[in-house]
Amino acid sequence: MTERTTDAELVIDIAGLHKSFGDFEALRGLDLRVERGQVHGFLGPNGAGKSTTIRVLLGLLRADAGRVRLLGGDPWRDVVALHRRLAYVPGDVSLWPSMTGGEAIDLLGSMRGGLDEGRRADLLQRFELDPSKRGRQYSKGNRQKVAIVAALASDVELLILDEPTSGLDPLMENVFQEVLEEAVGRGATVLLSSHIMAELETLADRLSIIRDGVIVESGTLTELRGQARTTVHADLATLPAHEQLSMLYDVELRGHRLTATVDSDRIGQAMEGLLPFGLTALTVEPPSLESLFLRLYEDEQTPDRR
Amino acid sequence: MSAPSAIAGTPPLLRASLKHEARSFAPWIGIATALSVSSVIVYPWLFPEAVERRRFAATVGANPALGLIFGPAYDLSTVDGFNAWRSLSIGGFLTALGVIFIVVKASRGQEDSGQAELLASGVLGREARLLTALLMAGVCALAVGVVSFAFTVLCGGAWESSLLLSAGFTVTGLMFAAVAAVTAQIASDARTATSIAVAVLGVLFVLRGFLYSVSAPRWTAWANPLGWITETRPATGNHWWPLLLGLAFAAVFVAIGFALQVSRDFGQGLIASRPGPARGTARTPLALAIRINRGPVVSWSVAFVGLGVIFGYFIRTVRDLFSVNPALAEIFAKGATLPAELLAGFLATILTLIGIVAAIAGVQIVNRVRTEELEDRAEPVLATAVSRSRYLAPSVLLAFAAPALFILIAGVVIGALAAAAHIGLNFGYSPLQAVATIPAVWTVVALAVAVIGARPRVQIASWAGVLVSFGLTLFGPSFKLPGWALGISPYYHVPHVAAGTQDWRGLLWISLFTLAFLVIGFAGFRRRDVP
Repeated sequence: MTERTTDAELVIDIAGLHKSFGDFEALRGLDLRVERGQVHGFLGPNGAGKSTTIRVLLGLLRADAGRVRLLGGDPWRDVVALHRRLAYVPGDVSLWPSMTGGEAIDLLGSMRGGLDEGRRADLLQRFELDPSKRGRQYSKGNRQKVAIVAALASDVELLILDEPTSGLDPLMENVFQEVLEEAVGRGATVLLSSHIMAELETLADRLSIIRDGVIVESGTLTELRGQARTTVHADLATLPAHEQLSMLYDVELRGHRLTATVDSDRIGQAMEGLLPFGLTALTVEPPSLESLFLRLYEDEQTPDRR
Repeated sequence: MSAPSAIAGTPPLLRASLKHEARSFAPWIGIATALSVSSVIVYPWLFPEAVERRRFAATVGANPALGLIFGPAYDLSTVDGFNAWRSLSIGGFLTALGVIFIVVKASRGQEDSGQAELLASGVLGREARLLTALLMAGVCALAVGVVSFAFTVLCGGAWESSLLLSAGFTVTGLMFAAVAAVTAQIASDARTATSIAVAVLGVLFVLRGFLYSVSAPRWTAWANPLGWITETRPATGNHWWPLLLGLAFAAVFVAIGFALQVSRDFGQGLIASRPGPARGTARTPLALAIRINRGPVVSWSVAFVGLGVIFGYFIRTVRDLFSVNPALAEIFAKGATLPAELLAGFLATILTLIGIVAAIAGVQIVNRVRTEELEDRAEPVLATAVSRSRYLAPSVLLAFAAPALFILIAGVVIGALAAAAHIGLNFGYSPLQAVATIPAVWTVVALAVAVIGARPRVQIASWAGVLVSFGLTLFGPSFKLPGWALGISPYYHVPHVAAGTQDWRGLLWISLFTLAFLVIGFAGFRRRDVP
């Protein structure tokens, strides 16, 4: 959120969004900007407000307060015009019990304004999906495939994907990543909500992390990593005292092996600090999205922790 | 049930299920109790004199249209006789309906939703789920009996006949819990299982009323499980032993249910689903609405042919009934003396009853919109280029068109049968009366549109129109309600087309309400959150 772009380039532009359900405040001042051509990762645990945000973007829920612009329009008012330009994969895919997957794909595709026949056939084949099964016979993963094929078989500017791969096996997840990259290659913008870190690390250009209805971090993966801590494993000849390791966090000593984390911009300082103790082996792990994510959420649970 | 391990885990599952579901038993217990209690309270108050009671017995007891619903009236001149007639069949029917929902939801419905899978992987015997479902239904049926008995006796019902009446509710409930246990195994999903069980109940119920009303041979009553309950004759015979037949029936069907469950796979029915087309032809919201409601609409159409046949045969006997019992005139057309007017009133009553049933189908279609929302199927559709109004409109259109079609079907069948009998009713009258009834049905359906569109949280209120019009049409006249109160039911304003004078203005008024309800429903649906 450091750089500002002009509104014309923003596909999603949310500022100060509030939404409550009765007494429960699901969104409390959420800001989200997604530029054209980006894959924007939307990260957060269950119940943080991801799906609520997406439903506001789809015009299913009405915002209580705040500014919401989608593809330059108002998602509540300009439903039909906007929805022709986007496709959506819900987190919980529920199909009509007696309708086959193929029928559901054609129905949703037609109501969006038509789908690409060639791509429909190609996607069915790559996802190994049998379109002649009835809705009630599909497993969760296969229901999700139906929704993914229905969404990706259309040529749209924006893909809104709410945990699209939570039921897919690793093979299918690979296929999904390929297919999504192809869509991006065609110029699509993607809002990808997920809590699968590896998927976001591979796909996302930018990330926004949501907690309790507000965005707590937003930026590119590198930017976010800069704020996170690197993990250091070191074998030491002599044991240091705790106060000699003030630049390290989460220090754990097991025999002569030290495990700790360090702010990414202070790695050099940490190495210098460790050298006097006879460094015999050293591994340095760059911060993973997961560690960043966990840190953000741990901070909430134990606010005083250093 | 085989080894104890097959039912392991039943007690905790039953406790947990009862804790979550027991509240849903309340309406069924409440309705049956209210039926019985209101009879014993209101009857002495309405008819304090013996003369009045006899007149009431003569007029109402012989009304064949009422007999269809309530069964034979053995003695309407005593409080308990009246209560037995008014409550036994309806109370039993509603209890049966309640337990069917309970059993299917707790067995088949759990499998469909995936909750059962979670439990099945725990320490839970194969047959524990069905057993739990049946025990829950048993608790509900027993509660209906105990509560209705206690309150009826407290309010002045006789001890033995009230106990027998309440036992009749309970046994009817047990029988259909067992029927539902079987249909839950046969069908491939919960909705179908419920539909089959309710259809069995409905057919047996209508057959009972019909066969008693046309004085069919005695064995026809004994061939029908619901007939056994009628044959207990609370207050007029107090026969207890037919209840044993009911219990035996329940035991046999429970055994069949368990046997079938063992022989099928988890989540599958005996009627397996076949693969379907890989390409879809439904491409618009209207096509989707038709697709979703196709099955029920076809079944309802068949049901209305059946209703038409039954009422059509009924109307053929009307002349005999009139000659035997001139007091019938009181009910069908106040102050009417000409046979033509009597017949016109009779026809209108019959088509009103058919209209009330048709409205049920319409309200069901409207409620389907809410189900689609709650089961997350509306969401992907509304995420396409379909506006809220365009999503709602096809279902509303269908909810208006289908009941209209149903009434017309029944009207044509009745008209044909009546014309063939040469009772002085031309073929055209019945279809015309059917057309005149349609606007009243639409008012009831439109109320459901208003509720589902604007205030879906009170979804149950969408049935208010059906319940109120049903109550006012059937119970209103027998409780001597004033005209304005009867006028709350839209059916009250339907003109009698076969009579000499007709007033069509009433239809205009109720159609204004229809329009207002629709505006509320559509405006509300555009403005609210989904789901």
